[in-house]
Amino acid sequence: MPDGSYERPQQRQFNPYSENGGTILAIAGADFSVIAGDTRQSEGYSIQTRYAPKVFRLTERAVLAVNGFAADGNMFVKKVKQRLEWYRHAHAKDMPLRAIARLIQTMLYAQRFFPYYVYNILGGIEEDGTGAVYSFDPVGSYEREACRAAGAAQSLVQPFLDNQIYFKNQTPAPGTNHPTHLPLPDVLSIVIDSFTSATERHIEVGDGLEIYVVLAKGRSTQELASIGGLQELSTRAEGDRMFVIRRDLKKD
Amino acid sequence: MDISFALTGKGYVLVAADTTAARSIIKMKSDEDKIKVLSPHLLMAFSGEPGDTVNFAEYVERNLRLYHIRHTYPLRPASAASWIRRSLAESLRSRSPYSVNLLLGGYDTATHTPELYWVDYLGTMTSVPFGAHGYGSYFALSLLDRYHDPEAGLEEGLAALRRCIDEVSKRLVVSPGKYKVKVVDKDGVREIEL
Amino acid sequence: MSIMQYNGGSVIAMVGKDCVAIASDLRLGNQSLGISSNFEKIFAMTERTYVGLPGLATDVTTLHEQLRYRLNMYTIKEERTMEPETFIHLVSSTLYEKRWGPYFIEPVLAGMQKTPSGAFRPFVASTDLIGCINFAKDFVVAGTASEKLFGVAEGLWEPDLEPEDLFETISQTLLNAVDRDAYSGWGAVVHVITKDKVVKRTLKGRMD
Repeated sequence: MPDGSYERPQQRQFNPYSENGGTILAIAGADFSVIAGDTRQSEGYSIQTRYAPKVFRLTERAVLAVNGFAADGNMFVKKVKQRLEWYRHAHAKDMPLRAIARLIQTMLYAQRFFPYYVYNILGGIEEDGTGAVYSFDPVGSYEREACRAAGAAQSLVQPFLDNQIYFKNQTPAPGTNHPTHLPLPDVLSIVIDSFTSATERHIEVGDGLEIYVVLAKGRSTQELASIGGLQELSTRAEGDRMFVIRRDLKKD
Repeated sequence: MDISFALTGKGYVLVAADTTAARSIIKMKSDEDKIKVLSPHLLMAFSGEPGDTVNFAEYVERNLRLYHIRHTYPLRPASAASWIRRSLAESLRSRSPYSVNLLLGGYDTATHTPELYWVDYLGTMTSVPFGAHGYGSYFALSLLDRYHDPEAGLEEGLAALRRCIDEVSKRLVVSPGKYKVKVVDKDGVREIEL
Repeated sequence: MSIMQYNGGSVIAMVGKDCVAIASDLRLGNQSLGISSNFEKIFAMTERTYVGLPGLATDVTTLHEQLRYRLNMYTIKEERTMEPETFIHLVSSTLYEKRWGPYFIEPVLAGMQKTPSGAFRPFVASTDLIGCINFAKDFVVAGTASEKLFGVAEGLWEPDLEPEDLFETISQTLLNAVDRDAYSGWGAVVHVITKDKVVKRTLKGRMD
């Protein structure tokens, strides 16, 4: 109105969240764990960058993949890493995987009424030497599983994993059983196939693929020898070992 | 809200519907017959918008009767169901659609098979072993998943129907008091006192 | 909730070597309440042309009847059967006729197309609810589980599958996709079409 007053009540709103696409995926083996994510970061139809890592090394035997709102994701990883460093200073050792999982739950639930808008998947090696995957929702509800996909292409990838990892809807030949854990080369091919498929059909997935492989102590690295784009991240050869495989995905 | 159930058995179809006619929270009538006998071997339980229901049921009844008179034989259940479905589907995209849900129970005298069709106001039609409309469906469908037997005799069928009605009486807040039950088999249509 | 998801249901079609397959679930529901586990959405239009009609169930029946009528008129007037590629255009124009008040169906088509030499070529296509045609070389999907179907099919499908292998591929794709969809499932049916026969199989799947 001319006098400076308003005819109706005005409303203003700030939306603190955004969605940055991408997909993450983790599969646990008997004595290894594979955690992967694509590297495209987008907002709507625009690509912000073709290389924004979503998968992070936390300790010698733990990897965290974070998907959803990238700003929240990065901040969350930063805070988890900080808490793990404090733990190292206090206890002179790395936090065990199951403890990291519980830590992530409490950190997420602490923000119950202003959540980190992220889906987390934690992978690595348990204290007993088994491969493990933990998946979380944005407010900290979590579960240990053998495999999990999250993010933009979750609905494309998860049913494929149900079929290839859990052998859902497949009947074993008489007198035989489906394996509970797959060998590493099989897991790696399934991960790569999942991401090439997701890249083909989902616009928010593509550009690059980072696959973290964590091997339990004493496990042979033989199966990784022939893989291209492999880089070792572990500092000590005698403990659990960690590798990253970097591959290209289609950029269209 | 009207409640209707239907189920098939060995050589028969049972159709049941409550007998309350209500306006808002007031019961206006407690002996309303909501199951029309469309032809010697065809029953139709109807529910939905008051006014639409009876008008549509009578429209169907007269048209099927007309067919019977013209051709000297009635439409078989599958054909009748198909015609009724089409009427509803056409009505849906008209200026004033009917809001009527149906259960069509019939006995095909040519193939000697009992047939039951579940039809809603959109014109969705599917052949079912048992079906229900209204709040009753939330109780009846799961009960009949457990207790329905397509090869059951009439007594067994009535027992299954009884379970549905009892469960609704027990658990539904606005449960109706009385039901009318009709059966169609090779001998035609008759009413059954539960 | 969208009208396209009201009744639930999904269809997929795939190309193989001298064969095609089309498969769907059997659920009919009212939102989350399951009504029927015997609602077929795939219809044989000619001996070698099958169409799947996922979407609003009333329109599944209506559109099927409409397409059957138009196909019959064509067959009578032309004195020949309609080829799949012609049929998808019939589907398209039938849907586009209702551009401003559409049938809520996304048809999927699979058939064996007669070539000028007299041989048969596998053919699949799909359209959106207003008849925009998608001629795919590999596979087409539609329905409430379409995203899941895309994901699994992209992972399992490969070119030149023999009829038996195509059957396995399409079955696994459908079953695993609908198991992750609350609105699809409750049984499944698969048709494998070759130039001289059609094999229809009903699959045993999860009923939850």
